[in-house]
Amino acid sequence: MSLDYEPRIIGFLCNWCAFAGADLAGTTRTGYPSNIRIIRVPCSGRVDPLLILKAYQQGADAVLIAGCHPGDCHYVQGNYFARRRFALLRQFLDYLGIEKERLRLEWVSASEGRKFARLVKEMTEEVSRLGPRKDTVRRPVKVATE
Amino acid sequence: MTVNITEQIQEKAREILSSGQVELIIGYQRASDGVTARPAFIRKAENVAKLIFDQTCTHNLAKYAIEHRGKSMAIVAKACDTFGINVLIQENQIIREKTYVIGVNCPGVVEVSFGQVGDKLQYRCQICQEHAPAVYDYVAGDPVEEKPLGFDPYIKVKVLEALSQEERIAFWEKHFERCIRCYACRNACPQCYCTECVVEQIDPDWVGIPIQVPEKQIFHVIRAFHLAGRCIGCNECERSCPVGIPLSLMNMKFSQDVEDQFGYKPGRDPEVCAPLATYQPDENLGIGG
Repeated sequence: MSLDYEPRIIGFLCNWCAFAGADLAGTTRTGYPSNIRIIRVPCSGRVDPLLILKAYQQGADAVLIAGCHPGDCHYVQGNYFARRRFALLRQFLDYLGIEKERLRLEWVSASEGRKFARLVKEMTEEVSRLGPRKDTVRRPVKVATE
Repeated sequence: MTVNITEQIQEKAREILSSGQVELIIGYQRASDGVTARPAFIRKAENVAKLIFDQTCTHNLAKYAIEHRGKSMAIVAKACDTFGINVLIQENQIIREKTYVIGVNCPGVVEVSFGQVGDKLQYRCQICQEHAPAVYDYVAGDPVEEKPLGFDPYIKVKVLEALSQEERIAFWEKHFERCIRCYACRNACPQCYCTECVVEQIDPDWVGIPIQVPEKQIFHVIRAFHLAGRCIGCNECERSCPVGIPLSLMNMKFSQDVEDQFGYKPGRDPEVCAPLATYQPDENLGIGG
């Protein structure tokens, strides 16, 4: 692991809470590491395990899924389904050799800009400590041509 | 006992076929190699004598029920096959009223390959603790005595879990490397019935064409995940794998986690909601915070 290793984190943020929370972190000028690449999704329940695997395959070091707090989901129950889904997937990926720390599901409300910034900071530190992924779900990144 | 079950099945099949209750019997017949069994599709009462049942009848015939959905049919089903039928009923893939299930009190099936019949029970039968069918209209055979297992049915998963991360990565890489992406595991699975499989979709192109480890690993993770809380452990995937990838180790990991966390076993009761299609608002799964 070289000293200038910078982890890449893909963040799937729900449109209604977590994305607004990240927005707030920006408008209030709360600094957070630029290692996260944010993808806006309608709901944390929309995130298919396939999206996560695709992110890993394209070279992501970790994936963050952030959605509304339980009970606050815009679609009433999307985050509950997401919770069950990723609880299983996380254990399974660990079984195949992708550490549990590399997949996180967190609840961030629209007013929790600071929490979002803290999460990204925490995750970046944690993944930097873990270093590059050692498993085999990875291939050289090719630039897509339209 | 073997003769007994065969005769019972034939008699019942003749009765329901000639009365017009069903138009098709899906059962087992002797394969061309003379020792193993193969699926049989009987439409005429005079062909009923072809039907057999013995310890070589390894196929899960629930798979064929999907192909003939909508028809009134009878299926010869071992205990684990009836779980598969239950899952299909639960997911509205087959109609219970149109499906006549000839359940078999299954003594377990032995390892078979073309022209060869072993004398050892298959691993899934060694760890089987439910030998009686869960859904049936008629039961053939004598009830099998349920003996306590004496060891953990998920012992193989636990052994792999106990290895270090590097060892696990190496273990799976060794197996995924051999995969030829023939999709036999998916095709043999009675719970895989999507008309367009996500791994074959071209637009969006989720799983690429290369036959390389990353793509193969994504395929296997997605296949296993789509069976989370649905896999009944019939092990048809592993049996049909031409390169011998231990797919059951992936399926059993999910079965174990689903059982531990949600106390759910698929296929026992079609009225109980599948774990990933429901939730408890205040559960703690060690994730989300």
